[in-house]
Amino acid sequence: MSGMQKKKTSKIEPFKQRVENDPNYSEKAWKVLEHAIHEIYNHNASGLSFEELYRNAYHMVLHKFGEKLYGGLVSTLTFHLLKIAKSIEAAQGPFFLEEINRKWDEHNKALQMIRDILMYMDRTYVPSAGKTTVYELGLNLWRDIIIHSSKIQIRLLDTLLDLIHRERTCEVINRGLMRNVIKMLSDLGSSVYQEDFEKQFLNASSNFYAGESQEFIESCDCGEYLKRAERRLNEEVERVSHYLNPSTEKRITKVVEKEMIENHMQRLVHMENSGLVIMLINDKFEDLRRIYNLFCRVPSGLTSIADVMISYLRQTGKKLVTDPDKLKDPVEFVQLLLDERDKHDEIITQAFNNDKTFQNALNSSFEYFINLNSRSPEFISLFIDDKLRKGLKGVSEEDVENVLDKVMMLFRYLQEKDVFEKYYKQHLAKRLLSGKTVSEDAERSLIVKLKTECGYQFTSKLEGMFTDMKTSEDTMQGFYASQFGDVGDGPVLSVHVLTTGSWPTQPTTACNLPTEILCVCEKFRAYYLGTHTGRRLSWQTSMGTADLKATFGNGHKHELNVSTYQMCVLMLFNTSERLTYREIEQATEITPADLKRCLQSLACVRGKNVLRKDPMSRDIAEYDTFYFNDRFSSKFFKVKIGTVAAQRESEPEKQETRQKVEEDRKPQIEAAIVRIMKSRRVLDHNNIVTEVTKQLQSRFLSNPAVIKKRIESLIEREFLERDKTDRKLYRYLA
Amino acid sequence: MHKIGRGHREKVQQFMAITGATDKAAIQSLKASDWHLEGAFDIYYTQLQIRAVTDSKLLEELYRRYKDPYAEMIMADGITLLCSDLQVDPQDIVMLVLSWHMKAATMCEFSRQEFIGGLQTLGVDSIDKLREKIPLMRAEMKDDQKFGDIYYFSFGWAKEKGQKSLALDTAIGMWQLLFAEKCWPLMDNWCQFLKVKHNKAISRDTWCQLLEFFKMIDPTLSNYDAEGAWPYLIDEFVEYLVENGLAHLP
Repeated sequence: MSGMQKKKTSKIEPFKQRVENDPNYSEKAWKVLEHAIHEIYNHNASGLSFEELYRNAYHMVLHKFGEKLYGGLVSTLTFHLLKIAKSIEAAQGPFFLEEINRKWDEHNKALQMIRDILMYMDRTYVPSAGKTTVYELGLNLWRDIIIHSSKIQIRLLDTLLDLIHRERTCEVINRGLMRNVIKMLSDLGSSVYQEDFEKQFLNASSNFYAGESQEFIESCDCGEYLKRAERRLNEEVERVSHYLNPSTEKRITKVVEKEMIENHMQRLVHMENSGLVIMLINDKFEDLRRIYNLFCRVPSGLTSIADVMISYLRQTGKKLVTDPDKLKDPVEFVQLLLDERDKHDEIITQAFNNDKTFQNALNSSFEYFINLNSRSPEFISLFIDDKLRKGLKGVSEEDVENVLDKVMMLFRYLQEKDVFEKYYKQHLAKRLLSGKTVSEDAERSLIVKLKTECGYQFTSKLEGMFTDMKTSEDTMQGFYASQFGDVGDGPVLSVHVLTTGSWPTQPTTACNLPTEILCVCEKFRAYYLGTHTGRRLSWQTSMGTADLKATFGNGHKHELNVSTYQMCVLMLFNTSERLTYREIEQATEITPADLKRCLQSLACVRGKNVLRKDPMSRDIAEYDTFYFNDRFSSKFFKVKIGTVAAQRESEPEKQETRQKVEEDRKPQIEAAIVRIMKSRRVLDHNNIVTEVTKQLQSRFLSNPAVIKKRIESLIEREFLERDKTDRKLYRYLA
Repeated sequence: MHKIGRGHREKVQQFMAITGATDKAAIQSLKASDWHLEGAFDIYYTQLQIRAVTDSKLLEELYRRYKDPYAEMIMADGITLLCSDLQVDPQDIVMLVLSWHMKAATMCEFSRQEFIGGLQTLGVDSIDKLREKIPLMRAEMKDDQKFGDIYYFSFGWAKEKGQKSLALDTAIGMWQLLFAEKCWPLMDNWCQFLKVKHNKAISRDTWCQLLEFFKMIDPTLSNYDAEGAWPYLIDEFVEYLVENGLAHLP
């Protein structure tokens, strides 16, 4: 090895900048920066060296002169901003905004540059000293010096509001300028935007629309007013999208809604000749849609519409159900109800967005007035009767379902469903027995709907009636099969065997049947009882029909379709030419009321007078004489004289039915009371009444007084007793 | 002296020591309570008044005096005689109180059991002694509790045997009798109302509730509550009063 070699290590010398030694260094550095800022603000930035400036700032901060730098920045910026303020203040008229806009733009650009230069300070000194960053500082100073300057603040606001006002009154304004200026306010912070602009904007708008709405409401009708309100709302939304902060949209729409809609709600809705009621009556869908859309924006807007609708419906409904003219024809009456309902249903679908509030309004109103007329259940049943007899003839299955569904809706409104049931049974019985139903499918379909609505109990008897009809058919077949060879010339009998419980009860009335009839009836009876021992048959002479072949003078032949009573009377004339009332009464033993009705229909109705009466008066008197009318003629071969169709009841009949219904209700109420008490054991009076009413409400509305009477009757019969200490409590006695 | 077992003898001693009763009374009470001491005390103290010894022979004689010749009952004639012996009117309310003591089942007749039992309860065995009790019985009507008991009793007593309800005329008569000294201002209206509007028999519930009504409700109806579960008839009565301007609802 040769001798050690000296290693030469290279050394990198730091810059020989004697920064720290110069006591005025910071001052010098600052001067450079200050000058730069001036230049920037004087649009002379091109000659500056970024690197130098950055370096100066960097070193100042590094050597703990951050505070001086920051302070200097503040004062320089302030100085410039004050200058800017002056120039803005000096601007005239329209140039005011433009000046603000331009200066703002410049300031922003300047700030960016300054921030870049002073970035090191921003990152180190500022956070540790808890100061605001350069950019933010710049904004704050702008805010404090320019925006909040006493000479500018109010003027700016006034200018902005004035321009908006002008635009509202259909002047064209510089939207771009507006956008920029307002964006400036937003950029300065949401509190600036809100405090220095938005609050007053909303206020001014409120006043504006308060005035405008007042003006409109004096001069426009409801529809026109709403159109304008809608227009204004759309305008404001559009304005926001063009040059206001999006957060304002919700607030300004609220203002417009309040001033234009909420404050005038009642007046609009109740406006004569153009308010809600007129719109409803005239099916003004567009207006109604508009009012719905506008009112649903304000609190209780929809309820005010609904309230007016309810009171209008109730009123019209009430008038309808108490108008004696409309009540003359039950079928027409119900059709009117259906039409009213359809009309308003359409409105709710088309214009009210099928809103539940209005569905409920419609339903509650109908429920109210339909039950004002105690004959509604009867009439609805008559309507159905008419439809099932002839109204739905030839109608498609779909349409039949439609009609029935609509009727069911009316049925649902009835509070006294048990009254309906009674009438429906009667009418159905007549339809079935006279064979006059248009479509058995339709009948059954309705029964199913009733069952779905009210439960099995409601329809079990009705279904029983159908079963009886079917069974009777089979029975008749069996009967004729058994009578082979025995028929001869006798009358052809067709029997419907009715199960007593299922059909409406009729008192069995006396009636002497002609011998030929009696004979064949007996044969049937023998046959039937032969196959069904232990049963009892009683002929219901008030419900039957007969077809008679009659020959009049000149050999005119007719086939007469008559009721059983009428048949008995007419057959008498086979053996006598003339008969007095007394003689007829004696021979037939038909009750006077029925007999008179029967004779009236045979002798006093034009076109159907197969008998002649002497004297020719309209009413049947006890000393009248009747003759076979040889000269009877009709252009029809088949003449229908029977009065079997269901009709609205006369007053006494109605009373009777109502009484029966009341009687039927008593055991139902008692059963409900017992049911409730059995499970509760002890219950106070008011609660019993509430529970009973609830349980029975699907059939009828219970009367608390009636419930009380039933409770007392149950106490009498020792089902319940009063509590010994609290007299309002009842106990169940097992 | 009755034959009593050892254990029972002790109880009799105990009983006599505690209550100070005679041994006869002690034995009777204990027997009646099936030789349970506590029960015996109850019976003894409630019958304290009645422990005056009544002579059953005298009671039998008395019964035979009044009883109907053809039946085992005291009937109308016997009662008339009784009343005259007592020097009271048959319509006097005292007779009702007497019937109550007897727990008589129906008015105008007393069974032997009822008659004798009633007099024993009162602790009397002669007419004179019974007559002496009359003021006491009258006083019982003034006691609220007893009046209530007598009132409830009257319904069953006054109605026809086998009927559930009380005929209206009888009811009105009873009410007027019972309330004679109570001075209820609405009594006349009530009777009037029933004759005009109701005209049917009175149910037990209505009878009983009327007393409550009398006790609770002010004659001006100021505290009448329509929700108060009053019988239907009483509700109608209130309506009747209002309709005729005799009272106003609050």
